[in-house]
Amino acid sequence: MTEFWPWVPILTAAFTWLTWKRLLAYLRYFQQEGYEHLRFLKWVGVRSLTDPAFWVSVVSAFLFMLDPLLAVVVFTVGAIVLGLVQPDPRRSGKIVLRLTWRARRVLTVSMIVALAAFVGLMRMYVDTDVRAPLMAASFMFALLPFAVVLANAVLAPYERQTQRAYYAEAVDQLARVHPFVIGITGSYGKSSSKAMLAHMLQFHAPTLAASGSINTVMGVTRHIREDLVPGHKFMVVEMGAYAVGSIKRLCALTPPSAALITAVGDMHLERFGSTEAIFHAKSELAQALPPGGVLVCNADSPNALRIAKQSTHSRVFLYGEHHSGALDTRVEKIRFTKQGTHFVLQTADRAYTCFTPLLGRPIILNLAGAFTLATAVGVDPEVAVASFRTLKPVSNRLEVVEDAGVTWIRDAYNSNQYGFRAALEVASDLPATRRFLATPGVIELGREQHDVNRALSREAAMACDQTVVVSETNRAAFVEGHQEAGRPERLVAVANRTEAFRWLHEHLHDGDVVILENDLPDLYERSAGVYWPARQGGKSS
Amino acid sequence: MSTSTSALRKTVAVMFGGRSLEHDVSVVSGLQILHALDPERFAPMPIYIDQQTRWWVGDDIWHNDTFKGGGPDRSRLIEVSLSPGFGTSRLVPVDSAAALPGAASRVTGVLKAGGGSIPVDAFVPVLHGTYGEDGCVQGALELGGCAYVGCGVMASAVGMNKRATKIMAAHAGVPIVRWLACERSVLDRGHGWLTDLPARVAESFGWPVIVKPCNLGSSAGVSVAANADELVSGVLKVFEYDVEALIEPFIKNRLEINVAVAGLDEPVASVTEMPLTSQASPLTFAEKYRRQGRKSIGSSEGMAGALRVLDPQDLSAEMRANAQRYATTVFSALGCEGISRIDFLIDADTNELFFNEINTLPGSLAFYLWSAAPHYWTITDLLSRLVDRAERLRAMKRGLQRKPPAELTLLR
Repeated sequence: MTEFWPWVPILTAAFTWLTWKRLLAYLRYFQQEGYEHLRFLKWVGVRSLTDPAFWVSVVSAFLFMLDPLLAVVVFTVGAIVLGLVQPDPRRSGKIVLRLTWRARRVLTVSMIVALAAFVGLMRMYVDTDVRAPLMAASFMFALLPFAVVLANAVLAPYERQTQRAYYAEAVDQLARVHPFVIGITGSYGKSSSKAMLAHMLQFHAPTLAASGSINTVMGVTRHIREDLVPGHKFMVVEMGAYAVGSIKRLCALTPPSAALITAVGDMHLERFGSTEAIFHAKSELAQALPPGGVLVCNADSPNALRIAKQSTHSRVFLYGEHHSGALDTRVEKIRFTKQGTHFVLQTADRAYTCFTPLLGRPIILNLAGAFTLATAVGVDPEVAVASFRTLKPVSNRLEVVEDAGVTWIRDAYNSNQYGFRAALEVASDLPATRRFLATPGVIELGREQHDVNRALSREAAMACDQTVVVSETNRAAFVEGHQEAGRPERLVAVANRTEAFRWLHEHLHDGDVVILENDLPDLYERSAGVYWPARQGGKSS
Repeated sequence: MSTSTSALRKTVAVMFGGRSLEHDVSVVSGLQILHALDPERFAPMPIYIDQQTRWWVGDDIWHNDTFKGGGPDRSRLIEVSLSPGFGTSRLVPVDSAAALPGAASRVTGVLKAGGGSIPVDAFVPVLHGTYGEDGCVQGALELGGCAYVGCGVMASAVGMNKRATKIMAAHAGVPIVRWLACERSVLDRGHGWLTDLPARVAESFGWPVIVKPCNLGSSAGVSVAANADELVSGVLKVFEYDVEALIEPFIKNRLEINVAVAGLDEPVASVTEMPLTSQASPLTFAEKYRRQGRKSIGSSEGMAGALRVLDPQDLSAEMRANAQRYATTVFSALGCEGISRIDFLIDADTNELFFNEINTLPGSLAFYLWSAAPHYWTITDLLSRLVDRAERLRAMKRGLQRKPPAELTLLR
């Protein structure tokens, strides 16, 4: 009894300190998952039970039976040390925590929820000795992800209200400026097509296009409020389909006069459930066009072509490379060099010889799509072609960097199987002594993930002298693929990025070409725990 | 003489940030100057101008760290504007109701002492590029009848425009590199220019040529073109940022030398400097401001971060003297004030010296050039002299006759 009260403030302070740090860590992943409860909790799984914070609390609760003072010391010192060694999620990791106002609100309320629950649990515990706070801390560290979710749920009505006000402001601003809106969707290539289209349009009339991947209603709302100003004649909006209906909602905010559909494939199959659902989700953009609106579709993508054929009220333009039917823009004679890509665009009336510093077959196809749309809305085709030369490679999208004799093909940003193959193809065209590939494979493909990665591994085994498969996510598929190709010796497995780079730096020589393909977001790198930087993660097999 | 009580110190407002590509560079230079002002004579007051050209004061904006990431937390700053009343020279909170409450701070103290506004004795604009170095901010300061360091409206505006500067310099007898101009409005007239411009350039200069924006400072948008395709690319690159491109023959074997000039009672030239990257190609923006290995902007010093040789002895004394003479000539021809850096090109094959461009507000006021003999001035000395001169100039302008002559007095 007597030992209870003097220790409570110390234990509470230690608990508060570590909870604060852990909440920041959880919040980073919650933010990455778009503040979606289910996706976040699915990621959390039993992670909180592997948290050393939980075990320090449990161990000290048991130590209490031996020596209460020892328990207090173990918990307090443990909490301080764990809090100190945790990397700051605002600075470390590939996707850092951005302390937006919303994140601050969730953090504050989570902290209140956690402290209230801590006090509540302590009071519920019958023995009023130091075991009460220790038991309460054990429970709380196990349940901390739920505090975050609960805080977010409590804040939901407030967030909805703010968002509605912002939305109304954006609608007003759009009505005042009244730009010609061009919507872009597709399973891949949206961001690069948007950047390329905006690049061509800017020499024709003032154009607004978000620099990053803004493709949700809230993202576009904010973009309009902050960046759309009188004088903007074009606005290019990337429309992401996260489910059936999401593009429809975006089109209600920014009704498009023209649309570009880059490809309709199997990306994010996990979220949609079926290819047919993806098709319907993407068709919403074509349906939102006014009569006579411009619809540009990639004829090489069967589902994009299907959308074009179903559209009866738009002016349809087709582009592609392999499609056997008539095309408004056909890509021909693609040739890759370290400086960029040479190719020809064949339109109905003439052929344009083109060069761009960008690389990769899908990129060139996207460029053809952006060209088709730009010229359809009035851009001079010759000026558009001239502007191809000033396109800048997007960082980590088939970006070639030469460093001390080694050519790096950086393609880390959100890869899919098509981009993966494109990188292999570019690497094969470039002169090289040896070709290396470092990749964790591709993700979010549902049941097909294993087969897709196995197939990619087979192709990599033929194209590259050595493949480094990173993390355990697709390791089995890569091992099978290389075995099927009869070249298992060409595969090396490592636990994480850091080890992959270490391996590469030990083995690279002058004249080698290295592809860095797809960088998994933090949440998929299983060896990297919530709290520890990747290099302290699992062991290489 | 100086009793150095805060009441007797003059408030000197240092303005930095701004709506130009060189925002970050300006913050770095501005903070350096803020901390270099003589604390015995002046009470420095930082004014941060953000990308939307809103002006902010507050206790947070004294250090680099505040500006990393998304910029300073505006909720902890007070937005101010310049009172337009001639001669008031005061900063007024934009929202007077919201400004005064809040935690006690240096700025709220100054505001209270000033009766709700901040009287400023002199301004030091350290804004690079458009909307800062081009006469816009200087115009606002003129309207307020303020004393300010540096060029006035005309010299700033001319100095920002490379074409206008060339014309002025040539008129004053300083040799310049020939040029062709291409205005962005060619884009509204189809694609004929895609072939016409290269033909004109080939006929006038041959290849290679250098393509640069007419109105931007630093090296943003500068490229070298060896053929028609590269010329068009270079011009299009310029058109992403500017309304006019200048094309000049590229001097293959070139050296750059720069001279700073301080406008005191007489324009005084500094020693010459030679940036070390000048031989290969023009400095890129990254070379100029973010040399490899210097990760944080805090450690970089704007142009001072680049490698250079001061008073290069391998150039003839005559060449160095000419550069200094031409520099003061250009400075006077444009009517500059404060400190400008005048950049020259040397064609190493012919040993010819050409005026290249003027920087009316060089990064960090080119202080590194003044720390070398013969004018050994510390940045602190120099700033004190410049503030004094700014106040004298204002007094002179205010002393001009304001009474309209009879023929203009209509309403009496």
